[in-house]
Amino acid sequence: MTAAIRPDAAIKLVGAAVFGTDLDVPGMLWAAFVPAPVAHGQIRSLDLRAARALPGVTVVGPEELAGLVGPGERDQERPLFAQGEILYRNQPLAVVAAPSALEARAAVAAVRVEVDPLPVVVDLETIFPEWPGSEADASPAVTAHVRARHGNVEAEVRRADRVVSEIYRTASVHQVALEPHACVAEIRGDTWYVRTTTQSPFGVREDASSLLGLPESSLVVEGTWVGGGFGGKGSSFLEPYALLLARATGRPVRFALGYREEFRLGRTTLPAVIRMETAVTGGRIRARRVRLLLDVGNSLPGRDFATGYSIGFLLGPYRTKTFEVEGYAVRTHKPPFGPHRAPFAPQCAFVVESHLDHVARELNLDPEEFRARHMWQEGDMTPLGQKVGPFGLATAFERARATARQWRAEAPAGHGVGVGCGFWSTSTGAGGEVRLRLGPRRLVVVEGEREIGSGSVLAGLTAVAVRVTGLPRDRVSIEYGNTSEAPFDSGVYGSRTLAVLGRAIEEAVVGLRRTLAERLGARGQAELSIERDEIYAEAGERRAALSVLLTPEEGAAGGIVSEGRHVAPPRSIDESRVVAGTFYPYTDFTGVAHVAQVAVDPATGAVRVERYAAYHDAGTVVDAGAAQAQVEGGVAMGLGTALTEEAIWSDDGRLVNDGLLDYRIPTLAEVPPITVEFIEGFAGAGPFGAKGLGEPPIIPVPATVAIAVRAACGAHLTELPLTAERVARALKLL
Amino acid sequence: MTPRPLRLTVNGRAVELVDVPASERLLDTLRWRLRSKGTKEGCRTGGCGACTVLVDGRTCLSCLTLTHEVDGTEVTTIEVGPEDAVVTRVRTAFEEAGALQCGYCTPGFVMALAGLLRERGTSATREELLEGVGGNLCRCTGYVAIVRAIESLRSGGP
Repeated sequence: MTAAIRPDAAIKLVGAAVFGTDLDVPGMLWAAFVPAPVAHGQIRSLDLRAARALPGVTVVGPEELAGLVGPGERDQERPLFAQGEILYRNQPLAVVAAPSALEARAAVAAVRVEVDPLPVVVDLETIFPEWPGSEADASPAVTAHVRARHGNVEAEVRRADRVVSEIYRTASVHQVALEPHACVAEIRGDTWYVRTTTQSPFGVREDASSLLGLPESSLVVEGTWVGGGFGGKGSSFLEPYALLLARATGRPVRFALGYREEFRLGRTTLPAVIRMETAVTGGRIRARRVRLLLDVGNSLPGRDFATGYSIGFLLGPYRTKTFEVEGYAVRTHKPPFGPHRAPFAPQCAFVVESHLDHVARELNLDPEEFRARHMWQEGDMTPLGQKVGPFGLATAFERARATARQWRAEAPAGHGVGVGCGFWSTSTGAGGEVRLRLGPRRLVVVEGEREIGSGSVLAGLTAVAVRVTGLPRDRVSIEYGNTSEAPFDSGVYGSRTLAVLGRAIEEAVVGLRRTLAERLGARGQAELSIERDEIYAEAGERRAALSVLLTPEEGAAGGIVSEGRHVAPPRSIDESRVVAGTFYPYTDFTGVAHVAQVAVDPATGAVRVERYAAYHDAGTVVDAGAAQAQVEGGVAMGLGTALTEEAIWSDDGRLVNDGLLDYRIPTLAEVPPITVEFIEGFAGAGPFGAKGLGEPPIIPVPATVAIAVRAACGAHLTELPLTAERVARALKLL
Repeated sequence: MTPRPLRLTVNGRAVELVDVPASERLLDTLRWRLRSKGTKEGCRTGGCGACTVLVDGRTCLSCLTLTHEVDGTEVTTIEVGPEDAVVTRVRTAFEEAGALQCGYCTPGFVMALAGLLRERGTSATREELLEGVGGNLCRCTGYVAIVRAIESLRSGGP
């Protein structure tokens, strides 16, 4: 496959792509939140009068809601404004709209709030100083509890040669999309209309309409170009507030976060504490016990699937017949938990790989051999009783080990080489649909997702349509439609876009070929070709130009229409192993193995990654350029999770490092050369057996770097990120 | 308030600005007064480089520059036309190397490199070019393709 020039390069390179922050409507007002001044407290009074008295200012608070929203039932569980009790710092108390950003800020400053402070809990370990036992089930801080087991763990532990127990801690990481959240809302007649930078226009429609008590049909969501998503733009956030203000003022309202607010209010991955226990007999894992405490901030009880989903990543991708896992989602006075590229999987892989590496060392076994011996292969059962499908991890791992051997031979003393693994599953969400329009000269794919940068929409779907129809690339285009124009799709998340919409294109093309064959008076499927600049259809002995086959109505509408839809077939786990809560089956099995060479500064503990190689089980590579770019970018992002990124919360619930100068993401100087290799042939859920590629690249990075650091200097770190300070402490330099 | 209008050239076009508050940033002048949204707003604290433009040919963070400071200068942004040979060269290198994904940081990278190439000409070393974009953050590409674009600029292509 050859790499094509990105279809969106030209418009982005002249500054003509309109992102959410660029939206500009004549007469629009600027919005701002009135933020809660404490992380926990009871509101004694909220005085909005002085703000309201300012010229041109409109304030909407809890009192005004009922008069503005739709007639339907509102989601009462997720109030738009703090109601009586403040649950996290900067929680919205009200929103203002003003003629300029400056005036909006002045209005916020004019609000008087009186609060009776209540005790603030930010640290998981202050809630559960000891590991929670059964009493945790009743704790009001626990919003979700999951538990699964299989086999007699106690017996295996009793007769084991060795039982190794460790505790790991992982940090809160932010998505850091360079474009902050931003939208512009307007009321047009009976339609509530919002343009926004989002990974999921239909998700925003569903979410915002339920928050505002509107029928979905009266809200239209239109995506803009998206300046990075990484999970942070997956559901509604500012949109309901902007819509309320537009309703209250009768004017268009722009709501964009400043970058500090983006950090403070962003839905990030929050910290976790994980206990791993492994029983080994005869060089084989006989039993594992895993306990997870996951900080979910102000997430709602029962709405959080993070715990059950994450915990699967603490068991795999290694065979374990006998196990017990237990996870607790714990509420703290932080903003709600949110997805960050491969939510929590990089942290889980760090824990699993570091722990198994450690277990092998404790038993004087070769750590890579130990992992290889237990690695899932196609046909194995996962601990939760799902059969493993085509899985390229063992192949990727072998390739990675070969590279590691070569690098070890070349690396000078004091440098370390590590190999780390991870796995993922292409998500399908609630499925997705496309509408094809085939005209005399072009094929147009109408769909409802904006390109967020990954290439999955513009490069990926174009490549699928080209491959399925046989038409040349310059005859295929992608046409974005808002939620009232395009067919439904769940969103650009979960590495799902190419897989789900690609399969929907396949289905739509089958329908198109059948219709064209019928119109030609033939059976079966028509083939498409180009002759003298026109698209021709051919079936059996019959052949005709598209222009002849279209009805007059189709001719006027630009072509013959065919719709396609893909929803993943149901999969299941062995529910008899589930004791409490919900665990999730996988759609497919994506394996990833990475290699890092690092140098550790013996004086400061600073880690420098010198070179990196990534081996990816991709099923089938659909667009070579976009695929490689996803891996390069995912590795770099993972280096941030591994080495520097950590949102630090003070005891009173304040985010301490709320800017790019303090929360450090990798710069050009910190990213080493990255070699990428794809392993094809282990088919996944997407078209031609493609597997999702957006998230897998970040997953093994912290694990790989940690194992390389241990190889370089002997420091075994059990806490992310691997900052110079933590390495120095492990080396007793501090 | 200024007693006389500010006069500057933006992408070759003369503009006259009246009543510019002393606190107004060049970034906001470009985006909200001149309604040229090609220059991107990121962190507004000089931490990301997305807002980079050229002032009299030199790289400048427009979020940390007061509009009054650039009175009488020539400002070049990502929206400059193909007549700007240096910017065009950088654009071509980015397009061919696939050095962008979401594209939000791209205007800043392109202008930072154009500034450096303008200042140093063809004698710019690889290290100088890499350091020239050391203050520009990209979350999508991992910089790998950006480095490829920079290497192609260095080796005389495209």
